[in-house]
Amino acid sequence: MNAVTPTPTKLPPSQHEFAEIIHRLEAGGAMLPDTPENLKQIIGIYKAYAVPMDFYWRNLLYIAERVFLNPLPAFKYFLPQDYLDRHNHYAGEDADLRIWRGEATAHPELLEFMEKGEVKRKLPKLLHHLWHDRINMEFAEACMRAMFWHRNMGGQFDPYLDTEEYVANADRAIKAYFKGNPVMLGLYKLFPDMFIEQVRQLSYYSNLGLFWEVMAPVFFEMSDLYDEGKITTVPEAMSFLVNGIFAIAGRPIYHHVYIRGECYEIIPKSKGFMWLYEAALPYVEAVFYRTSPFRGTKSYNAQAKQVPENQDDFHYGILYADVFPVGSAGIPPTLLMQDMLHFLPPYLVEYYQQYCRGGDDTLIQLGVTFQRSMYCVTSAVIQALRQALLYPLDDPNPEHLQANRAFFEAQLNRLTRPEARLRDIQSQDYR
Amino acid sequence: MLSVLIWFPCFAAVIIALLPKSLDLKRVRLSALWLSGITLLWTIGLVIQFDLSNPLLQYQESLPWLSDLGLDYQLGIDGLSLPLLILNSLLTWLAIYSSRIDTKRPNLFYALILLISGGVAGAFLAQNLLLFFLFYEVELIPFYLLISIWGGAQQGSAATKFLLYTATSGGLILAGFLGLIWFSEASSFAYDLLLGQTLPLNIQYVLLVLLLLGFGIKTPLVPLHTWLPDTYVAASTPVAMLLGGVLAKLGTYGIFRFCMPLFPEAWSNLSPLLATWAVVSVLYGALAAIAQKDIKRMVAYSSVGHMGYILLAAAAHTQLSIVGAISQMFAHGLILALLFHLVGLIEAKVGTRDLDVLNGLMNPVRGLPLVSALLVLGGMASAGIPGLVGFIAEFLVFQGSYAAFPVQTLLSVVGTGLTAVYFVILLNRTCFGRLDNSLAYFPKVHWDERVPALILTLLIFILGIHPTWLVRWSEPTTTYLVAEAHLSTPAPQSIMANAEFH
Amino acid sequence: MADIVDIAVGSEDFSTLVAAVQAAGLVETLKSPGPFTVFAPTDAAFAQLPAGTIQTLLQNIPQLSRILTFHVTPGKLTQADLQALDSVVSVEGSPIPIQKSEGFEVKNATVVAADIEADNGIIHVLDRVLLMG
Repeated sequence: MNAVTPTPTKLPPSQHEFAEIIHRLEAGGAMLPDTPENLKQIIGIYKAYAVPMDFYWRNLLYIAERVFLNPLPAFKYFLPQDYLDRHNHYAGEDADLRIWRGEATAHPELLEFMEKGEVKRKLPKLLHHLWHDRINMEFAEACMRAMFWHRNMGGQFDPYLDTEEYVANADRAIKAYFKGNPVMLGLYKLFPDMFIEQVRQLSYYSNLGLFWEVMAPVFFEMSDLYDEGKITTVPEAMSFLVNGIFAIAGRPIYHHVYIRGECYEIIPKSKGFMWLYEAALPYVEAVFYRTSPFRGTKSYNAQAKQVPENQDDFHYGILYADVFPVGSAGIPPTLLMQDMLHFLPPYLVEYYQQYCRGGDDTLIQLGVTFQRSMYCVTSAVIQALRQALLYPLDDPNPEHLQANRAFFEAQLNRLTRPEARLRDIQSQDYR
Repeated sequence: MLSVLIWFPCFAAVIIALLPKSLDLKRVRLSALWLSGITLLWTIGLVIQFDLSNPLLQYQESLPWLSDLGLDYQLGIDGLSLPLLILNSLLTWLAIYSSRIDTKRPNLFYALILLISGGVAGAFLAQNLLLFFLFYEVELIPFYLLISIWGGAQQGSAATKFLLYTATSGGLILAGFLGLIWFSEASSFAYDLLLGQTLPLNIQYVLLVLLLLGFGIKTPLVPLHTWLPDTYVAASTPVAMLLGGVLAKLGTYGIFRFCMPLFPEAWSNLSPLLATWAVVSVLYGALAAIAQKDIKRMVAYSSVGHMGYILLAAAAHTQLSIVGAISQMFAHGLILALLFHLVGLIEAKVGTRDLDVLNGLMNPVRGLPLVSALLVLGGMASAGIPGLVGFIAEFLVFQGSYAAFPVQTLLSVVGTGLTAVYFVILLNRTCFGRLDNSLAYFPKVHWDERVPALILTLLIFILGIHPTWLVRWSEPTTTYLVAEAHLSTPAPQSIMANAEFH
Repeated sequence: MADIVDIAVGSEDFSTLVAAVQAAGLVETLKSPGPFTVFAPTDAAFAQLPAGTIQTLLQNIPQLSRILTFHVTPGKLTQADLQALDSVVSVEGSPIPIQKSEGFEVKNATVVAADIEADNGIIHVLDRVLLMG
């Protein structure tokens, strides 16, 4: 991995609007400028993100595998102990590939928060739940729904959901799940498509859960490396992510359901679905770029074309999001910020105190930081794709370099829209 | 008792002015707050002891002064002046509270405000026409200084305009008073002495018009209002609160205290014209407010419109309408002070009053959510939404005036509708919408800065829900006033129509 | 003549590829009559992949097979055949673009040795592992 070392560009300067950023990418940098302040912010927020993410992936898999089609899933966010103890495949002693040196079970800060919550008191779990003093799984579900709603974002996972093979697998699981329940079986007879569609959604639960199972240890490890002084620049942080993307690319994406102790393989591992193609890239497309308009204090009028007709044209993701309406009706982003707020490292808490309204608007400040950090992740994805599909940055062939540049320019073209925050994050004053 | 309300603030002003210049700004503000707080407490004490069953003057004080001139130191208080005195003490305290922490030359600033407070109290208390005039004129210079030294943009021309208009107003009033003495051949300017005078009708007309023009400038009524928007806009927040909340009430107070009772026949005959004049004021104020791009100017024009209701009520001069008018003076004082305070806060935090720039202040984290919420409430109160004090006052005015002047009253109701129009424009642009990313780095609003708004809001709510606490003070006096007036002229409507308010 | 697997096993440059093919259980397939065109990345090509990439794939055979079958296309296509085409469809299902440049380039890899004939097909040696997308 030599992505970090800058190479003398042999090409004439780019004429792109973001020429400076293109040159930075060509030199192995990120879209986010390399400043110690940016590094501190993004690493701190990765850590704050990883803790709730440790809950998200466990709970997503729990819903996909165990709750399944429960018609009244009132307790789907009440994670049983065996899912908290479930070993992450990329952390702990028995990891498939040890990315994080920490434990494979749920993160200690997460367990402490689940027990006492924001109120720092041990109360019945139901009270914490109703008071929303808990991890906001609604955010994870919103991400899942964004992936499920947009669909068709590449990879073989999504087309597979429409095959007869998939429907047959789902059918077996549905019949097994509702065995001895004539009401639900009758409903299934009447509205089979509805049930299949629900299972498709559950497959996306599984997809996202398996995706995040990887990202949590990646972020934890980055935080630890930063604390040890082993990550000192933004490009180093990005390179760690690029390496992680490659290392995990082949991790299988599947959907298993456990009904009365028996495993039903709705999407078997043998389909060969891969983390990179079937989870990571659709996730980035759905959540970073597209998602859907969330109602802040502004309401959208679809008839007046304020919402694009084409789903491809949706640009409401975190790279474009207006973070300011936090706390208003645009709930999903607010929920994530609320989750991250509980796990901020001390240096970020102190940092936010110094700017804007200090403690009063930490939610927005960390939201903007999150936006910065996701620009770093997106940079890593772009660099990883460049590495996988194109040429090294120090390739001696100018045609290859030109192909690299065309790729970078095409990627940044998506961020020339006025609402994209790429311009904002170039400055430290955007908070 | 009453003299304290005049002389204590003046004494306080001297103390503040003499405080060492090196003293910390906060200390000066705190001293001013304490001193005006004492005045406020004194006023509350008066209110508690006020005899509700007595429609006549209470706590009268009388000292011979320049008896040769007919000028004696005569003070008294009744249901007409009591609410305005409370308003004066309260708004003075709140204005001092809402002054910026970094006011320059604080000693002079607070001294002037206290001086004004004493002067205004004197005008409300004076039971001698010349004494009233003296107190009326005494405000002029402090306000001029407050506007020209601490004002915003174009404060110089605004202050001069204010000075010229108000001086003219004073001149007209003095002319009216002198004429009254001259023609009635009274031996003194004492108010009670002049009450019983009957002058020939055409002399009454002349004198009444002189006084109406004088008080009309102060109120102000269209087309005598042109000084107002510039002055209100140029004045700093506390000064604007006092100008709109208290000083304007001197004009309407003068109408009720002098124009109406001193010239009953002329008043009755002219009242249809006055009602029409009121409607012109109401509609002009509202329409002008709709056209504004500057929120402070919008609020200033709203004041022009709302003072029109008071003239309408005065023209109708039924018992109910006068109770309504007094309530409206009080309510308008609270609401306008609240609006000016909030607009001042927005200007201080956001740095603009431009409707085209302001946006999304309702944002719960980065905006000014509480300020916006209170602004919405202030707008609602001003537009006469039930449950708030503005509704009570306006409803009483309309209810009381309808029988006398149905057309004018209905047109004024349209004016209320227009109030809702411009406040919806203001609120929609200012509070709602999406907060602009590039602008939204406003400083925090401290609790300290919210206190005046919260107190005013609380009063607006309480008096809106329980209006008896507002109208009970003035009811006996108004009953008496109307009865007196109707001794000489047939009433346009029966007092009994208002029986349900007893 | 030897078949594709024999040639790969016989060369020193393909130890990673051979190990992967064995792990994926594709030996039998590649020994079948075919014919196949195989794009064979060298050990150096595999070494360019970041650490852990191969490890994860070796743990997950279906995924490994998918990557490997992306390097195979049915039929026996020589350099001349390929350069006449824009792309060929791999056994995995995704297309493999053939670059129109001076050298012989397949997707983002350069062919370092072309037209190695085998009993059941033909091998082109690549300097880079091909990845779908």
